[in-house]
Amino acid sequence: MALFPRPAAARGKGPHRAVPVLEEIRLKTIAQFKIAYSQFLDPDGKPVSELPEFARDPEQLLRMYRLMTETRVFDTKAINLQRTGKLGTYASSLGHEAAHVGVGAAMREEDCFAPMYREYGAQFWRGVKMSEVLLYWGGDERGNDFSGPAHDFAWCVPIATQCLHAAGAALAFKLRGEPRCAVSVIGDGGTSEGNFYEALNLAAVRKLPAVFVVVNNKWAISVPLSIQTAAETLAQKAVAAGMPGVQVDGNDVIAVRDAMETALARARAGDGPTLVEAVTYRLSDHTTADDASRYRDPAEVEAARGNEPLIRLRKYLVSIGAWDEDQEQALLSQCAEKVEAAVKEYVETPVQPSGAMFDYMYATLPQAMEEQRETAIRYGADGGDH
Amino acid sequence: MAKVTLIEAVTMALAHEMERDESVIVLGEDVGVNGGVFRATAGLQQRFGPDRVMDTPLAEAMIAGASIGMAAQGMKPVCEMQFMGFIYPAVDQMINHAGRMRHRTRGRLHCPMVLRAPFGGGIHAPEHHSESTEALFAHMPGIRVVIPSSPQRAYGLLLASIRDPDPVVFLEPKRIYRLQKQEVQDDGKAMPLDVCYTLREGDDVTLVTWGAMTFETLKAATAMAEEGISCEVIDLATISPLDLDTILESVEKTGRLVIVHEAARNCGVGAEIAAGVAEKGLYDLEAPIQRVTGYDTVMPLFRMEYQYLPSVRRIVDAAKATLED
Amino acid sequence: MKTFNLPDLGEGLPEAEIVTWHVQEGDEVVLDQPMLSVETAKAVVEVPSPFSGRVAKLYAGEGDIVETGKPLIDIDTGSGGSAATAAPASADQSPAEASAADSGTVVGSMPVSDEELIETAVAGGKRRRTAGRVKAAPAVRALAKKRGIDLADVPPTGRGDRVTREDVENFRPRPAVRKRTPVQLPPGEPVRLRGPRRAMAQSMGLSRDEVCACTIFDDADIHGWMPGQDITTRLLRAIVAGCQAEPALNGFYDGAAMTRQLESRVDIAIAVDTPDGLIVPVIRRVEQKSAEELRDDLDSIKTKTRARTVAPEEMKDFTFTLSNFGMMAGRYATPVVVPPTIAILGAGGVRHDVVPVLGGIETHRRIPLSLSFDHRCATGGEACRFLAGVIGDLQRTS
Repeated sequence: MALFPRPAAARGKGPHRAVPVLEEIRLKTIAQFKIAYSQFLDPDGKPVSELPEFARDPEQLLRMYRLMTETRVFDTKAINLQRTGKLGTYASSLGHEAAHVGVGAAMREEDCFAPMYREYGAQFWRGVKMSEVLLYWGGDERGNDFSGPAHDFAWCVPIATQCLHAAGAALAFKLRGEPRCAVSVIGDGGTSEGNFYEALNLAAVRKLPAVFVVVNNKWAISVPLSIQTAAETLAQKAVAAGMPGVQVDGNDVIAVRDAMETALARARAGDGPTLVEAVTYRLSDHTTADDASRYRDPAEVEAARGNEPLIRLRKYLVSIGAWDEDQEQALLSQCAEKVEAAVKEYVETPVQPSGAMFDYMYATLPQAMEEQRETAIRYGADGGDH
Repeated sequence: MAKVTLIEAVTMALAHEMERDESVIVLGEDVGVNGGVFRATAGLQQRFGPDRVMDTPLAEAMIAGASIGMAAQGMKPVCEMQFMGFIYPAVDQMINHAGRMRHRTRGRLHCPMVLRAPFGGGIHAPEHHSESTEALFAHMPGIRVVIPSSPQRAYGLLLASIRDPDPVVFLEPKRIYRLQKQEVQDDGKAMPLDVCYTLREGDDVTLVTWGAMTFETLKAATAMAEEGISCEVIDLATISPLDLDTILESVEKTGRLVIVHEAARNCGVGAEIAAGVAEKGLYDLEAPIQRVTGYDTVMPLFRMEYQYLPSVRRIVDAAKATLED
Repeated sequence: MKTFNLPDLGEGLPEAEIVTWHVQEGDEVVLDQPMLSVETAKAVVEVPSPFSGRVAKLYAGEGDIVETGKPLIDIDTGSGGSAATAAPASADQSPAEASAADSGTVVGSMPVSDEELIETAVAGGKRRRTAGRVKAAPAVRALAKKRGIDLADVPPTGRGDRVTREDVENFRPRPAVRKRTPVQLPPGEPVRLRGPRRAMAQSMGLSRDEVCACTIFDDADIHGWMPGQDITTRLLRAIVAGCQAEPALNGFYDGAAMTRQLESRVDIAIAVDTPDGLIVPVIRRVEQKSAEELRDDLDSIKTKTRARTVAPEEMKDFTFTLSNFGMMAGRYATPVVVPPTIAILGAGGVRHDVVPVLGGIETHRRIPLSLSFDHRCATGGEACRFLAGVIGDLQRTS
């Protein structure tokens, strides 16, 4: 017995022909949508259209390139730390550097960032320290009390809940008349969550100063985009909410930043939210405990590696004479030093005292919980004989 | 007969029941090709095909709600929430529909679904991956909550849960997923729901627990035996509906009760057990009932998680406190 | 010199096979440099070098299987290169996981072992519990504890055999002999009681502790007796008559359980005075025996007593006691009921008493009788009926 029998119209007629919604000749078109795509540098680093203003300033590009490199060096180190028992499970950002740095570079300090859990490039741009990322994945809450703007949201593991937070922050800014924007980042898988749609809907109907970034890296752990959604682009999910959506090459930092700057300007001007879909590829496993080789074709991964963001930007910078091998080596060396210093700071951070479990539950710990706090302290760090 | 871990016993039970009953469907995130992030469904899609072992989009409310829809229409979905920390979007569906479908239609419709989720802490996981909120579901009328603590019970109780005509939330203590192996026969025999399992007989103190804490509790019992204190250890197994009778019988014998759970103290399932024993076994008690639980704080990130989880020492101290009285 | 052990590469994987070494003994390695590839469950994992230094020793070769936690490589960190990063942050940090290993999880580090779980789990309850414990509310337990009362001693009157607060408050503990402060004898040569004397001390002590004795005094007028009657035999027969008139005094009483067990057999213990002390040999089934048989039993007892051959079995399990004490002196007495029996009849010395008879006076031989009974389980009426039966039989001419 077939569990999902085919529609009557198609049975017995050979290969399945999609059943039309209605006889199309009788329809009058009342709404249409278009999704635009943007790319400035092709995978080889060659410009394919006129570069936006910021990209004509090599210093701007160099700043982004340096941070992308630093993020990658950090990322590699973090994976190694996990492999040698010094870090807990870690979510790598390998391949996403342009998407993340492009977002961070476009934002202002007074804007509010609601990340997922991978966007180190954006966060480093905003002032978060490497050691704080390590503390977080190292199992210490102080990691979430990170440097950078104090109003930024913490890392968010329950998928898509951060989108609603961004919508709420944007609502606060609008109500108070502040020229500030809220930006959230979510993955392709996260766009299936109810929270995501609810955030778009609210932002659009209230014309909130928000930008919803979808970093589409084609995989939600082991679930490929093809069975995640039937939508041709993720950008078009904005259409359902009545807001604009654009798709950009997420491996092209110029395209990402350009789209973000436009979207943020729109939002700041009071014209409402935008969805920016940055298409890239998850070159790493989902986290250090995942094994993507179980479900991914290595050829696909290799092909994606050819599109990766650092290579193309470097090639472009070299082509305009703004970069060379010596500078590359010097940069790598500086990054390594910086990363080592961060690791040292992380590793030398002692575990919090036992009472710390209670100290931030409320502004003032309720009296009823004093006894538990004392118990926890009494049993102390080695109260955990298990 | 094979020596299997708890997670392998889960796979075994799923495979057995899917073979036996073609209305059983497995669905969830990463359950198909990947075999589940803990490998609970390893090999099942290869064996039964993508229409019976489905990789769903990333949406928990959808997974629970669609399961309810399938169940009401005569299928037996066994859906997976990847972690208990992500179960909350599904709570709306579970409390508003799964738990009350039979009741509000006077039996015309019912909901034979199983919702599986790894739960509990102790594996040095990131935030939100160590939740232990079984009390939420225990509080919902119409929902059964089952927690195995051994490979054998994982096998037998999961079979029973799938065969049960009403919804079951089957919480798997991930810390003991691979901690021990046990001989489990793949004979399709379900184990009884709604009863406690006595893991160790004793005369001086009754220790009631479930999930991964059975491990520490049994260790505590062994430690106390060396000091001449004889402990009876009872695994709740079915959290709700609660088999109070077994506990009452034990307390009648020992007069002393310690309840151990890693979930937070306030309104945890331990409170329900304590109230039940106070109601029906008060005259057997020689000392106040003790609860050894997680604190009423957010579970700390893993650097401190073992300070939060009840330790052998805390359990022993509580048991001895009942004997001092 | 630092030794690096094979890190825990994931769940269910207590070991890994070395596929390729990327370094050899003697090589200089840099921190994080790919050091070797290991295979776990069909995925190959790169393990980076945890230290910078010179490779001093490889503990296993390509194709070898290494157990998790066992040494893999020694690196001499003293020679050049930057110092190794600090040791793992804390003892309870998670062990390493390899992303490519089938770690079977996307997060965390799960403890894994091959340890076998041997258990016996019994479903449900309905097991017979060991001997029941006292039921009492916690407040009552606390009260008893405060007063130094053992709840097991307190007779429960609450529902379901519960000891109530009133039970505890009304409880008057029986002073146990052991708990008394010993009476100090003046200096001398104290001799321990032994044998029948010791048994008597214990038995009498027990009676005092438990029995609520009441004694009724009366006389049997035997002036009408035919010659040649044996008093003891007549007394035995009279007791049987008393039992028939009122069975309530022939049997046993358990004060703790508050149960009474009346008997149809009349086994009478006879108090016999010996140089070693009091013994109470038993004459069995007195109700079935003739006067001759009773006489024979009495003679046999006398003989055995002198020879000290009365066996303990012959002194147990009696339903009534007779104490015929009046040979030397003594008219009435308050004989002591021997628990668990209910009553004892004491007969004093036969006297010639002056008795009124139809307006005149005569002297008649009379036996003074003293009947003690345990008033916990027998009423005064029952005792009087019994005594009336005894007297009625004794006053028959034969």
